[in-house]
Amino acid sequence: MNQAEVSQLISKLRIRISPRHKNLKCPEGPQGRLNKLRKTVNALFKYERLELNYTIADETRGYAERLISEAIRHGDTHKPTMEMADYWIEEKQLIHKLFKVLVPRFSDYKTSYTMLYRAPKAYPDIVYPRSVLELRGNPFPSILPQRIDQRNFIHNILLEEAKKAYRAEKYEQITKSLNEQDVVDK
Amino acid sequence: MSKIIKCTILDLSTLLRVTYTGITVNQIRSAHNVRPPRIKYPLWHLQRERAKDDQQLTEDNRAFVKEAVHDKFGMPAVIHGISTYEVRSPLKEDSVERKNVEWHPKLKRTGLIARKLGNYPMWSDNGKSMLATLFQVIDNHVIKYIPPGEFDPPRKPYSCPKHKKELGCLLVGAESADPQYYTKQYCGLFYREGMMPKKILGRFLISPEAALQPGTPLLASHFRPGDFIDIRGKTIDRGFQGVMKRHGFHGLPATHGVTKSHRRGGNIGHGGEKGRVFPGTKMPGHMGNRYRIHKGAEILRINHKYNVIWVKGVASPGETNSIVYLHDTILPLRKHKITPPFPTSKEVEDDQLIDSYKEHMYKFTDPTITFEEEK
Amino acid sequence: MLLRSLKLHIIQCGFAPVVLQVSRTCSNMPLSDTHQSPDNAVSGKQVKSERKLVVPSNSRFIYPEFLPDPKMEWRNSLREKLERLDMIQRRKHIDIPEFYVGSILAVTSSNQHAPNKATRFVGICIQRLGCGLRANITLRNVIKHVGTEIKYQLYDPTIQKIEVLRLEKRLDDELLYLRDAPNEYSTFDENMEAEYLPEGTPVPVNTTLVKLKPRPWRARWERKNMKGLADLELEERFYKRAEELATPWEKYDLMKQYRRTIPEEEQKEIFAEVCSELHEVEVMRKKLKRKKVFVKPTRSS
Repeated sequence: MNQAEVSQLISKLRIRISPRHKNLKCPEGPQGRLNKLRKTVNALFKYERLELNYTIADETRGYAERLISEAIRHGDTHKPTMEMADYWIEEKQLIHKLFKVLVPRFSDYKTSYTMLYRAPKAYPDIVYPRSVLELRGNPFPSILPQRIDQRNFIHNILLEEAKKAYRAEKYEQITKSLNEQDVVDK
Repeated sequence: MSKIIKCTILDLSTLLRVTYTGITVNQIRSAHNVRPPRIKYPLWHLQRERAKDDQQLTEDNRAFVKEAVHDKFGMPAVIHGISTYEVRSPLKEDSVERKNVEWHPKLKRTGLIARKLGNYPMWSDNGKSMLATLFQVIDNHVIKYIPPGEFDPPRKPYSCPKHKKELGCLLVGAESADPQYYTKQYCGLFYREGMMPKKILGRFLISPEAALQPGTPLLASHFRPGDFIDIRGKTIDRGFQGVMKRHGFHGLPATHGVTKSHRRGGNIGHGGEKGRVFPGTKMPGHMGNRYRIHKGAEILRINHKYNVIWVKGVASPGETNSIVYLHDTILPLRKHKITPPFPTSKEVEDDQLIDSYKEHMYKFTDPTITFEEEK
Repeated sequence: MLLRSLKLHIIQCGFAPVVLQVSRTCSNMPLSDTHQSPDNAVSGKQVKSERKLVVPSNSRFIYPEFLPDPKMEWRNSLREKLERLDMIQRRKHIDIPEFYVGSILAVTSSNQHAPNKATRFVGICIQRLGCGLRANITLRNVIKHVGTEIKYQLYDPTIQKIEVLRLEKRLDDELLYLRDAPNEYSTFDENMEAEYLPEGTPVPVNTTLVKLKPRPWRARWERKNMKGLADLELEERFYKRAEELATPWEKYDLMKQYRRTIPEEEQKEIFAEVCSELHEVEVMRKKLKRKKVFVKPTRSS
């Protein structure tokens, strides 16, 4: 590979992509790898939030993002896109969900369509890093804890006061220098 | 209230100051079990990154901290194609005394810190193509100069236990960063020079005559096209490799009855009296990920706008986007023939001078190469 | 619940589209700096010209070498920019026309050992490889019953002229199978005249099917899924083996495709920069041509 393929145009994904794919330990080779990923992609579109091993979640994320971006780009009348959706989504009612629910949901998004969180490991049962993969805009409660109002924290109050003092000092200096200039001009 | 600002964020003057007292120990080798001296780390060997806790600042306060930092140190700016900060004149009076010495071949100048950008071909003016590697000098500034008397490196070279040359140490930093993300200790290294903390630090041994004032910017014009440089970098980490990849062995034949040893090294030793494996025998093992020097590489072209240096050949260590250190070469026949910019080059504001090429190189602005018929 | 109980870290929220492509975690931060600089320079230039140039949608087929190598470990935005600038500088001195694999080209290059210090080679373009200044083409012709191929670096300064004698495409992206075909498929007259194609017409596709010589071949063409080959007339076992080794799932590997291409947004940026520069060059060239015509009003047709 020393030159880019130009046969098709692809929208840029808004997630970070690793330079190389992960093999996912498959005795059936690359085909088996895709079959593994197909299951998780299908489940992601079905349940909208999954708890997975980090490696497979990271791989799945790219494929799910690509599928959604292709669906947004070409719509359901584009034959290759439909063929791709047909391959990746095993439960056929989910294809309708992709084009009729997810595409309208994500068409205005400026960010990625999925989120990946690092989940805690239940030591000593699970040794592999776990993670949570979800579609954005899902109906479940947020994974991240709600933030408390930060304004009443002591360092924020102190900084607030410091800001006022700093600004006052700054404006004073500016006015002083302006006055001096006026004197010099006269 | 202004006191609070000083206490909370801005006053870095109460930072840790490490005063350095060089102690010289004359080692006497009496017993065979003398323990090696403890490695003393240099004074800039500090913890850099702050713990990444969420400070929980409000948006307003975060903006204020940024504003205060920019007021103190300089506004963010793009200089020579790198996003950095406008450095105000760092020190009002010279902390390093300047000696107006003429350059002579025994003097050692400072080096530069650069990033490897990749490679692409260039042509000479007789149509011969050669691959060139690109290095960008990334926002280099002198941080500190330690004179020879005070400088005591933790590991001295084996060959000459006592330094024959009196060499000082110049600390050079590259790529400015926001001080919020570094420890107070680390920021203190740069505070007196009035600079943002640097992401990368490099140490260069120089002769005292080539000492530079802290805060001096170092540019690609420190070298000239046609000069030879040594490039020090960390080679690509290739992991555990066999002898064919690691040492270029031929392996054994693919056919003719050879089984299960097509890529093996073959014999590694003798029999009889020498019945052991000699130390240093080439065998499989970890390949790459160590510092190596590419010596005597020629500079073909320099771009003064982006501070990029084109070097002949693709043998320089490190992968694309890795950090390398550029020095004047130590190869005796390739040293400077004419006086280089000494102690370093000055910044010249010239919009016309963007590229300078080595002699007999094809410039991309030149017309097509044609050969004239001999008469 | 496992999810609710402990602290979770956000891994990537996807807010930073600029830095995404170059992905080594360690080199991410410094790279973002180098990313900014060329963009600023470009935007400054665009403001100056104040004219909105429409970038043709087929730029990626006409100038494929302006797209960088998609291998992420090797990418660096400043290097790509400098390389593009050098390429444009070179294109000011030589007109590299639009051509495709399957077109018939004539390349004139300086040669110190040739009688007139220049050689001209006519042939069919069988391969187009590389990006940036390394872009190269392979021309093939049969000269005195000997198959001859020459590989030209497109941006080599010794190349004096590149003419397109017949602009057309073939069914495949590579015509390396012409090496195993009878000579008449790759024989072209050296004194061939350029065929004129009216402006605006789509590039014609030559649909000739090549009949190969019997085996042995340079490659196992039955496994390569070539469209421009006639029936290979092989035994059943060859096709069976080819079927075993085929990888039909690869066309569904969305990320493999993604890693092999440059995304559309980046392509737009690149071609906006390139096309504005090349447009000026073209305008200058047309002016010069008109001047020449005025001095010497002769018509070849």
